[in-house]
Formats: sequence, structure tokens, C-alpha cells
Amino acid sequence: MGGSKTGSDSTPGTEDGVSDDVDSGGPTAAVGQRLAALADRFDADLLTLLAVATSAVLVVAFYYPVATVLVEAVVVDGAVTLAVFAEILRDPFYVGELARLFAGESPVAVARALLSPDRRLGIVGFTAYQAALSTVASVALGLPAAYLLARFEFPGRRTLRSLTIVPFVLPSIMVAVGFVATFGDRGTLNAVLATVGLPPVDLLFTLEAVVIAHAFYNAPLVARVTTAAWESVDASAVETARSLGAGPTRAFYDVVAPQVYPAVLTGAALTFVFTFGTFPIVLALGGFELATVEVFVYRLVRDLSYAEAAALAVIELVISLAVLLAYLRYEARSSVQSRGVRPLPRRPLHPPALTAREVLPRVGLAVYAAVAALIFLAPIASMILASVTGGDGALTLEHYRFLAQRQRTGAAFQVRPWPAIRNSLVFATAATLVALPMGVVVAVLTTRKYRGRKLVDAAAMAPLAVSGIIVGLGLLRGLVFGVEVAGWRIAATGAAAIVVAHAVSGYPVVVRTVAPGLEGLDRSLVESARALGASRVRALRDVELPLVWPAVVAGAAFAFAISIGEFTATVVLATGADAYTMPVAIERFIGRRLGPATAMGVVLLVVTGVSFVVIERLGGEYRGL
Amino acid sequence: MGSDRDAGSDAPNDDPVAVELDGVTKRYGEADAVADVTLRVREGEFFTLVGPSGCGKTTTLRLIAGFEAPTAGAIRFGGADIAGVPPEDRDVGVVFQNYALFPHMTVGENVAYGLNFADPPEGVTRDERVAELLELVDLPDVADRDPRASRGAAPSASAMARALAPGPDVLLLDEPMSALDARLRERLRVQVRAIQSELGITTVYVTHDQEEALAISDRVAVLRDGVVEQVAPPRTVYREPATRFVAEFVGDNNVFAGRVVETAGPGGDETTVPATAIVAVDGGGSARRGGAESETLRVGLGGVSGAAGGNAVAVGDRLTFCVRPQHLVVGDATTNAMRATVESAEFLGETTRVTLDWKGRDLVVRTQDPPSGEVVVGFDPTDAHVVDASR
Repeated sequence: MGGSKTGSDSTPGTEDGVSDDVDSGGPTAAVGQRLAALADRFDADLLTLLAVATSAVLVVAFYYPVATVLVEAVVVDGAVTLAVFAEILRDPFYVGELARLFAGESPVAVARALLSPDRRLGIVGFTAYQAALSTVASVALGLPAAYLLARFEFPGRRTLRSLTIVPFVLPSIMVAVGFVATFGDRGTLNAVLATVGLPPVDLLFTLEAVVIAHAFYNAPLVARVTTAAWESVDASAVETARSLGAGPTRAFYDVVAPQVYPAVLTGAALTFVFTFGTFPIVLALGGFELATVEVFVYRLVRDLSYAEAAALAVIELVISLAVLLAYLRYEARSSVQSRGVRPLPRRPLHPPALTAREVLPRVGLAVYAAVAALIFLAPIASMILASVTGGDGALTLEHYRFLAQRQRTGAAFQVRPWPAIRNSLVFATAATLVALPMGVVVAVLTTRKYRGRKLVDAAAMAPLAVSGIIVGLGLLRGLVFGVEVAGWRIAATGAAAIVVAHAVSGYPVVVRTVAPGLEGLDRSLVESARALGASRVRALRDVELPLVWPAVVAGAAFAFAISIGEFTATVVLATGADAYTMPVAIERFIGRRLGPATAMGVVLLVVTGVSFVVIERLGGEYRGL
Repeated sequence: MGSDRDAGSDAPNDDPVAVELDGVTKRYGEADAVADVTLRVREGEFFTLVGPSGCGKTTTLRLIAGFEAPTAGAIRFGGADIAGVPPEDRDVGVVFQNYALFPHMTVGENVAYGLNFADPPEGVTRDERVAELLELVDLPDVADRDPRASRGAAPSASAMARALAPGPDVLLLDEPMSALDARLRERLRVQVRAIQSELGITTVYVTHDQEEALAISDRVAVLRDGVVEQVAPPRTVYREPATRFVAEFVGDNNVFAGRVVETAGPGGDETTVPATAIVAVDGGGSARRGGAESETLRVGLGGVSGAAGGNAVAVGDRLTFCVRPQHLVVGDATTNAMRATVESAEFLGETTRVTLDWKGRDLVVRTQDPPSGEVVVGFDPTDAHVVDASR
């Protein structure tokens, strides 16, 4: 037992070991020892260092900016007041008929007014209304997909399952372009309707277009969480119910449904929160006529009414957080850990027998597949098609030529393609490099057990709940315009602000992908490493991170994709002439020329796709662990 | 209560103490997982913590390894308090129930892992050390294998090799065989004991299997509800259980409780233990059989000084004693004859385990040819062991 553990000079039983080594190895070994000890000490402090850095980034790029915005909402002319809030709450323009409630009218009268056909919802009411509609649409579109994925076996099922993550990372402004190309008055839908002799429809700038686009984004989310829950239903529970006398339908309602519906609720709650805070979709597809709160906040910011913008944003935040909290409380009560279950067997897609019970669900799925193809594939396909179609309907590359020409001859105030592409790539790379260590550190900190862990978790996850407009506005008014700290004037460039804003909005996803992996690891793996002499950080590096590597790579890919597609904070911060990204460029094109917008959209699609593939390949050798 | 009883069994061996737990308590919320445990593990000893699930044996092991910190009390390695010393600096080797082999490393890399932090013995390279350890656990030529692909005894042996490679001072084994089938388990425990003896390494072994504990250990600590019931060599634990719990937990046993109605032989005063006592045994617990009526049995008091703390036994004292099934002789009507009815018989191969009903209580007997119907069983008073005597 002659071994000694390096770097542990303060513990019993090691002194003699160290001196042994010095005797046998001479001065070189002694230096080696010292270096190893130094490296170990650095190792131990690395986690603390990263945690401090992460907190600093969060404070600088999130908490401080958001706080300044909040202060702006309650401090008018140097005095603390809730007047701005009161004004908004009493203004029917914002809260519709509810304003009368805040103005002192009886709830009954208000309720009656709300039920009447000519009710006024106000901007907040409309935002909630479209979010509710979008939630219903997303659930309706997501559930059949979950049924298909959880209960049927067919070639490409796994691929389809992993594809449900794609909408999540598709830049929303690109999707908006795709929707314009599909549902616009000269879009592919009307082209198809014209060829079969049907009258054209105009869906653009309607609530329907916004709701369908929201479903495009959120139905896959509903499908993912529901599929996961459905797959974790233990087949033997269903078999037990059947053996006790329940028919297949009864067994479904009694055993399967209770386990699946909390997941549906999860998907619905998240969809509501996401669509309540929607911005690029509504901006591009609804315009200011269908303004949601977030769009109106943006408009107020553009009009320099910061106090009103901040107060409105706070009201939005309160509503989002209330829904999230209500949901989290529910989730805490109903979450069940199921492990090692035998999932329900999957059925083939072609019916084994020609009975109604076998055929009907499959017919339903076929109809669903057609609808889903229209909603999910048509926008992308239409965008690509529109980018190579001229005004006369012939194939052409004129839109791409336009981009190239604009790059060569564009004036300084005009949006040029190359800076947009370069900025997007540079910002996304930088944001990923910042977000990845932040995410890993927070994942480590939130999966350990200690007092106040929930608080750390909540503080670290807050960026998920706060609108990008607020963060962008706070960064703009604070860091970019400059702050005075102890007599020093500190100002960041718009580019740096964009990078930290992207990092802050992307890192919670890194946490969300890495933390479950860390949590799922067998505790005794780390303990074995510790007992063998590894420090806590060393065990993280040698054992935990290699084992969750696919999750780390996935987290990096998400952070990259989120940054590439981020629009909300960017559009606020990219007010200068040189910090615009591809999504901002698309938005600037979309109002005037659809052609170049679609061409730019295709470029964004290609860049997003390629970067995704590159990251996938880099992490490829660790796959399958 | 256990520790003063086995002061006697501690005495013969005076090897230095390698690991000492001194009044160690570990509290989770309201409950004590380990309550005021005092243990001394000697150098080179194979020491086993045994008890039913939830008795605190694994918590005790984790306290020694440093994965948990005691709520109260001290843990000393070689006399030095190791409070606050992290696991990586304790020079312990740990083998977990599920082995916890690093799935992203080969078996060889697993074994070599600890050598990142501790040098192999002088004149031995890393690779040689790994090969040496794999040889030791009888797993040559598996260094390149994927640990997830190994079956049978291999994962457990690999984990053992990994734990031993850095040359720890103490080896901690947490039920390393509980996932294996019975035959493999028996083979492996012989191997584990052989390796331990060869290296002379201080070993703390945790198991819920009392048979395994008896088979493998130098000394055994029986735990219940976080409290040490007895610390003694296996033979002592089996033959002279210190408490009723130990008597019932270790091996099959027939435990009786009753009141002394008569003593015989020398003594009978305050200081000397009489040779035998006649005990009026309490009736069986089950009222349905109406077994409240008492019966007298003659009990040898030879072991009382050791087990019950040397108190004299007098008429009127409460006495708890046990008789092993193999000491209950069927058909012997001379001493302590009990007329009982056969309830059930389990054929175990070498013997048959017969459960009898005697006045509403169960008696367990081991016999070659199982009886049926009414039988008479008896036992030699000297085969009875008193586990508790009180006024």
C-alpha cells in the first residue's frame, strides 16, 4: 500500500507518502508534485470561479438591466409612484372592459360586458385571448402526433421524434417569412387553390395566421412532453386493468389518461406562456393592428415612452409568472417518477385486421398527417420556393442577385447581407462560448443538495420568464448608453450587449439539457471517483461531464441556434447600423420585399442547419452513451 | 448497551485500532440513522456490519468513507480525527453494491483511475499495477474490455481491483455481492476473504445477509435501528447472542421468556450465578389457541456471566433465553419435554426445517427425518443460552 495521494498535504497519512516520492524521484519529482498540487488547487477553485463569473454575467446582463427597467416604471420625476400602472389598468385600450372594474364599476356589469358580442378586450385581453386560442390549436395539433409517436411503430419514427425539437430552434422570423410565403395573397396556398379553381383566401394579418404559426411552434412541444409521458405508462398497469375486467377504452381512461394528461397540461401551460409573450410572429404576421403586449411594448420603446413600456412589460411579466407558478405548483403535486417500466407495445401502421377498431384510428392519423404536413412543411417549402420564384411565377435567382447587389452597392443605412450573416455567426459563437460554461455550472449547482437550492434554481432560470424586450431595453438604456460606476463611465458596444443578451437567453436551455443528465447519473459513480482520490471538480471533469457529454453538445447546439434565431432583444439592441443579424435583416426586408426576405430566410435556414450539423458531428463520437 | 458486553471479546486481540467510531450519530431530519455508535476496527481485520435494511449499516460505511458527515461524535483513522477530511483524502477504497464502474472507460482505465491521484508502489509502472490488480482478482486479460459488457463475478472483481489499486489503508465494501446469484456469491466471498488476507488490508464489509457475515468476518457488528446490538467474532455472535434481537436475527432460533421459579446448584445469592434455573415460560402470544397457560423449563446458566453482565440470578427474575433448532431433539422425553404438534415442514436438502406448535407458540426444529402429528421435543439445559436477565 505505498500509494500516496497528490495535492492533499493537510491530511493524515500523506506526509510520508510525499517524502517517499521526493526521496525516490529527486528534485524533478518534487517539482512535479508541486505542479500537480497547484493544478489541483486551481481545479478546486475553478468551479467557484465559474460560479462567480456566471453570477456576474447574470447580474450585468440580466438582473441589473431588468431592475433599471422596473425602476423606470415606478419612479416618475424622482418620486416612487404606481401612477403609470394605475393609468394602464384603467385604460380600456390596454385591458378592455376590465378597465371599468379597476375604475370602480361593479364586477357583474363588467362580466356582462365581457360576454356581450361587442366586447372590448384591450391589448392585454387580446394577448391572453390569442394565447388561449394558440394553446388550444397547439394541443389539438400536438396530441395526434403524440399518439402516433407513442403507440405506433413505423420506419422513421425515431427520426420524426427527434425532429419535433426542430421548430423550437427555428428562427421565428424565418418561420414568419415562411408563413407569409404560404398564406399571403400571392402565397403557395392561393396558387394551389387557384389551380383547382377555388377562390383565394387572405389569411395574412389575421388572427388565424398568428394562431397557426404559434401552433407550428408549440404543437411539437406538446407532442414531445405527451409522448414521453405516454411512453412511461407501464404496460403491466394496463394489463392489470384489462385482467380486472376493463375494456380497452375503459383501461385507457382509467390507467393511461391520468398519467398522460398532466403532461398535456404541462405542454399547454408552457404554450400559453410562450404565446402570451410572443413577439416576432405577431410583428411579422399580425402587424400593429393585431398587437400583443410584447409588440406594443416594442412600439412604446420605439416611441421613447419608456415608463409606459416598462409598466406594461411588468404587467405582462406578472401574468406570465402567475401562470408559470400555478403550473409549477400543480406539477410539484402530480409529478411521478417512473423508471424501468415496460412501455406499451407499439402497433404497426398498416392495420393487422380490417375492423373498425383497427382502421379508424389509422384513417384519422392519415388525415392528421396531411394537415400536419401543410402546417409544418408548407412554410419551409414555400419559403424556399418563393426565394427562387420571380414576380411572373418563373424560376429565377433574382432575389439572391438582389442580395448580392445590395451587398456590393448598398448604402450605409441599408441592410447588407454579409454583415448580417457574419454578425449572426460571430454573435452565436460568442454567445455559445459564454452560455455553455454558465449552463454547466448552474446545472452542477442546481443538481446538488443544499439549503437554498430552489432559490438558486429560480434565480438562474428567471431569464426564461422575462421578455426579451425588457432585457434588451434594460441593456440598451443601461450598458449601451453607459452607466457610471464609482466615477467611471462604463459603456458596452451594441455587439457586446447582444452577445450577453443571447448568452443569458440561451443558457437556461443548456441547464435544462445538462441538469437532467447529471441528476440521472448514479451517485456512486462520483463517490467512487472521490474515494479513489479525485476532488469534487476532478470527478465532475473525469466522470460526470464525459457521461453527459451528448447533453452538453446538445445544449451548445441549442444555445447556438437560439442566438442565431434570437430576434426580440436583438432588434432592440441592434439600433446601430452595424450590429444587425440575419433575423433583423429579414424583418427589415419583409415589410417591403418578400422575395429578398425569403432569400435571406433560406440563407438563415442553411446557416442554422449547417451549424447544427457541425455541432452534431463534433459531438458525434460520444453519441450512444 | 452492546459495547460493554463485548469488552471481553475485544480483549484477546491487541492489534492497533485502524478505524474508530466514537459515539457517532447521524441524524436525517428527525430520525437517527445511526445513534451513538462506538466501534473499533483493528488493523488488518475483516469487520462486518450486519443488520436488516434500514439499520444504519450503509450510513455507517458512508460516514467512514466521508460521503456523509456525522451529526455528533468522532471518527478516527489511526487515532487521528478525520472530521472535515474529504473522501478523496481519506485513503479508503470503496466498492458499491452496483460497483459503479465508469461506463465510459475500459476495465483497465477504471482500475488505473485512482493512480491519477496516488502513485503505484515503487518500481511498478501504472500498467504493471493495473495488470497486477486484475491478476489478483482473477481477471487477467480484461483490461481492454467495456465494463458494461462484463457479466457474473467480473464487475464486482473489477470494482474491487479499482478500489485496491491506489493502495488504500481501509477497504469499504457495501453489499458488493447482493446482486449475484447464491452460488456465485458463495464463490466470490471466499475470493474476497482470500484477497483481504493476502493484502492484510483493514476491511469494513456491509451486508444484510447474516450467513455471509458469519462466513467471512473476523468480527461482526450487529446493528438495529442505528444502534449496535453486539460486536463479537462470528462464533460468539452465533453461540452467545447478546440480545434477543441478535438471537433472532442471526440464524434460526427459539427464544423463550419467563420468570425464574427455582434455582439449583451452588450460589443463588447476590454474587454467584447458580448452575441452573427453572423458568416458568410465558405463554404464546396468540389468544386464538388459548396458549396463556405456562410451562416450566430447566435452563443452564453457564453463559449468564458473559451475556447478562455477571448479575446473579434469583427467584423472581425475568429471564430471556434461546435454544438453537439443532439443539431441540425430537423424541427426547427426559429433559424439558415439550409436547407439540407439527405445523409445517420445509425440506432444505441436508435437513428439514420443521415448525411445531407448542402451546400457541412456534418452535423450530431441524431434523433429518421429519415427524408428523404429535411429537415430544426436549433440550439439554446447557444448550440454552440466556440473552437477558432482569429483576
